[in-house]
Amino acid sequence: MDQLPNLGREQEMLDIMGLSSMKDLFEDIPVEIRSEGTLPLPLPQTEEEILRDAEKLLGANVNLDSRPSFISAGLARNFVPSMVPMIATRGEFLTSYTPYQPEVSQGMLQAMWEFQTMISELVGLPISNVSMYDASTSAAEAITCAVRVKSKKVEMPNTVYVSELVPPHRMSVIENYTQGVGIDIRKIPHDEDGFLDLNVAAEASGSCAIYVEQPNAFGILDKGLLRLREVVGDNTAIIVGVDVTSLGIVEPPGNWGADIVVGEGQPFGIGPTAGGPIYGIFACKKDFLRLMPGRIVGQSIDTEGKTAYTLTLSTREQHIRRHRATSNICSNETLIALMGAMHMALLGPIGLETLSTRILSSTRMAMDELSSVEGLELAFPKSPVFREFAVKVPGKSSEALSHIFELGVIGGFDLGQWWPDRGSWILIGCDERTSESDISLLKKTLTSWVEESS
Amino acid sequence: MSDTVFDFNGSKDAGWSQPSPLTENSASHIPESLRRNRLPDWPRASEPELVRHYTKLSQKNFGIDTGFYPLGSCTMKHNPRLNEKIVQNPGIDRIHPLQPEAQVQGLLAIYYEMQEMLAICSGMDAVTLQPVAGAQGEFTAIRCIQEYHKERGDNQRDKVIVPDSAHGTNPASASMCGYQIIEIPSAHDGRIDLDALRSAVGEDTAAMMITNPSTLGVFEPEIAEAAEIVHSAGGQMYYDGANFNAILGKTDPGRMGFDAVHYNLHKTFSQPHGGGGPGSGPIGVKNHLSKFLPTPLVGRKELPHGDFGTVGDGFWYHWESPPSSIGKVQQWNGNAGAVVRAWAFYRRYGRDLERMSEHAVLNANYLRFRMMNPNPDLNIHAMPIEGCPAEVVKHEFTLSMSPLKDATGVTGKDVAKRLLDYGYMAPTLYFPQIVPECLMFEPTETESKEVLDKFAEDFHAILAEDPDIVLTAPHTTPVGRVDEVWAARNLILRYPKVEPSS
Repeated sequence: MDQLPNLGREQEMLDIMGLSSMKDLFEDIPVEIRSEGTLPLPLPQTEEEILRDAEKLLGANVNLDSRPSFISAGLARNFVPSMVPMIATRGEFLTSYTPYQPEVSQGMLQAMWEFQTMISELVGLPISNVSMYDASTSAAEAITCAVRVKSKKVEMPNTVYVSELVPPHRMSVIENYTQGVGIDIRKIPHDEDGFLDLNVAAEASGSCAIYVEQPNAFGILDKGLLRLREVVGDNTAIIVGVDVTSLGIVEPPGNWGADIVVGEGQPFGIGPTAGGPIYGIFACKKDFLRLMPGRIVGQSIDTEGKTAYTLTLSTREQHIRRHRATSNICSNETLIALMGAMHMALLGPIGLETLSTRILSSTRMAMDELSSVEGLELAFPKSPVFREFAVKVPGKSSEALSHIFELGVIGGFDLGQWWPDRGSWILIGCDERTSESDISLLKKTLTSWVEESS
Repeated sequence: MSDTVFDFNGSKDAGWSQPSPLTENSASHIPESLRRNRLPDWPRASEPELVRHYTKLSQKNFGIDTGFYPLGSCTMKHNPRLNEKIVQNPGIDRIHPLQPEAQVQGLLAIYYEMQEMLAICSGMDAVTLQPVAGAQGEFTAIRCIQEYHKERGDNQRDKVIVPDSAHGTNPASASMCGYQIIEIPSAHDGRIDLDALRSAVGEDTAAMMITNPSTLGVFEPEIAEAAEIVHSAGGQMYYDGANFNAILGKTDPGRMGFDAVHYNLHKTFSQPHGGGGPGSGPIGVKNHLSKFLPTPLVGRKELPHGDFGTVGDGFWYHWESPPSSIGKVQQWNGNAGAVVRAWAFYRRYGRDLERMSEHAVLNANYLRFRMMNPNPDLNIHAMPIEGCPAEVVKHEFTLSMSPLKDATGVTGKDVAKRLLDYGYMAPTLYFPQIVPECLMFEPTETESKEVLDKFAEDFHAILAEDPDIVLTAPHTTPVGRVDEVWAARNLILRYPKVEPSS
């Protein structure tokens, strides 16, 4: 038990307190509810043994770097510069907690203030918090935030319009977060090219908010969204979910009228990590500041007038406002946001543009290559895409994916899992690490599936 | 303001070096109106500059690694480095949550073991690892309880009861589910007031949310009676697991009569909190609530004789969806990296997790004894009084600094700030709100007797110090006392925008 400094010194400490045994410390637990015997768990292990077991278990997983991989669907198989995990996990950062005492937390506070600036610059909005749990909770809390801000000012209080192409997992989170407070969610359809139906979107005028994603679940970039502000009018909040890595090349939503921008921050800072810990970004206009969720760092001064940083606007938060808080969020994803800040700082503006271009060009190359395979069909051949595109295969996509996995490729995501009527669609995800040979192997193995299934 | 990351003067054309894009002119595939015209004003700095920048920032940050961190209710225990090493393994770092289960058998086996372990420790029947923070665990459990009542046609249950000493997240989480909050006052000794509870429950009671040991750090001996009162009114009992570190192997929420519980893997099971998160807030429930849990959970089935499976234990692990699941609360499968760290932590103790709680409680009681029994030769202005009188406390305790404030004007906050000068993180300040001038101390099991002795000694030195020194503390930190009002008034929330010169 190498984790307990006072092991073997219990009696010495008990004697000082005038207690006779460790049992005395638990006498206040009524006999009727005391546990009996020992917990039915395995024997304690040493570090060596745990590491051995961990390597065995984790080694049984097929990691994305072990073969060409095209699975994305909202998370990125990214490249994280070596500095990021090494410096972000310095003990002073790793083992700290919420900076309630700013005088001894200036490092994390300043890093988060800088993070807020980078996110603000990235999406084109003035305000950012220090992170949400992930893109889905960020989207859900953006919707409840917009309803709080807008409900008293619009004709359709408690009503929000949402693109029908929001992935079902994210939609489920949104439903869980909005059902209790009675928010009516209405869906907006898309046309055959995967673009938002702006005629239906116009119905959102007079509601609290509209939530769309750019790119959408099929990777499609929709230039119609640039007209959203004129379509919904000035009173309806526009909330946009983004792929953060697209914004080195794609116009940030803040520049075309978005009030709140959310998204998965993960591509900046950390690997896909089986889905977490990752972090959601949340940025907004000033009108939403006092009703937004999450922690915010502000610049201040100390007693000598020296620049200092501190958490601010805490009166929105649960530890002060309790049931009237804007959100229940307390622990967030600050450490991962710190990794994001380091990654963004390393990239710099030019590095971001290069990154976006690399992802775009590998996506285009894969799309072009697969479109030339007889028997495969692009679901939206005419639409511009980023990172992802949907392809229709003969037979069931789940079977096609098993086939090409046996040939050494993690082929993408079976869209039938999200939308049963798209059971022959595969969502192919490309990234900065996708190589020409990866794409040619994907093409070869999918061709083999086409031949197999014909 | 010359030391921010935006003050480096790197070349406008430089940036992180990367391989060339696979094709040229890919941007032409994006409609011109959608293309970004002006890149973000991100830092322009090289790796050596940034390594130094962030290293300097880290040196202005206090963590468990740098000193004693007695932040009550946050369980700031040592974070074993093995856990950080394990999550660098590509078998977790480079895994996608949507990979088919055949490709992630090892991860599912860890999930399964964690579900089982948490159920055993808490006396619950089923566990989900999906919620990613304690507050999200609370929200998830209250959602399950909400669906439970709905299914029974008990739609009039629109109120959730919380004690006035509850963590702020409790009422906030229940409120997000649409519940009205009934706050019941604590008894004069800070414990639960059963009479107040009796008069609060009724046909409109959906649930009660409570932690035990309470936020005052004492065990609620009448917890089973409280559960009985809520249950007879048709309500459900929710256990806020923030204080779980005190009771492992000694008692459990199941025995106390709870129906649902959340665990903070970032507290009890040492997953590092890193400046405010990540966390991980799995929940456990009794059988009658299990069908509402978020999807998916991990199940397993025995393989035919002789087939040892991918992980070699003779089982096939699979995702499964509870029949009336509330759906998702996080898009993926929770903070898997946090779950793996917590798994590595629990494996160190195994069936001896009880020792961990014993030492957490030993340390809290020892520190309390030392702090309340100063050297009589010292000229202390005024001793604090206990937030809750008790023979023994559990893993944390509260002190009211009111006597010192009355005697000298020095507040709890001043003492907290002065502790920073002595090289400690401050205790939790002004919570629970029912204790005036409250300081809440939680030493955890990973501090030595010598650290606790020295801390008590330094605390007494502060109580005996010239009040003017304490009132103006801290004096030795990178910045002096920070003006929070100034920050809220001026709202400088980002580096000033540099307008393009055109």
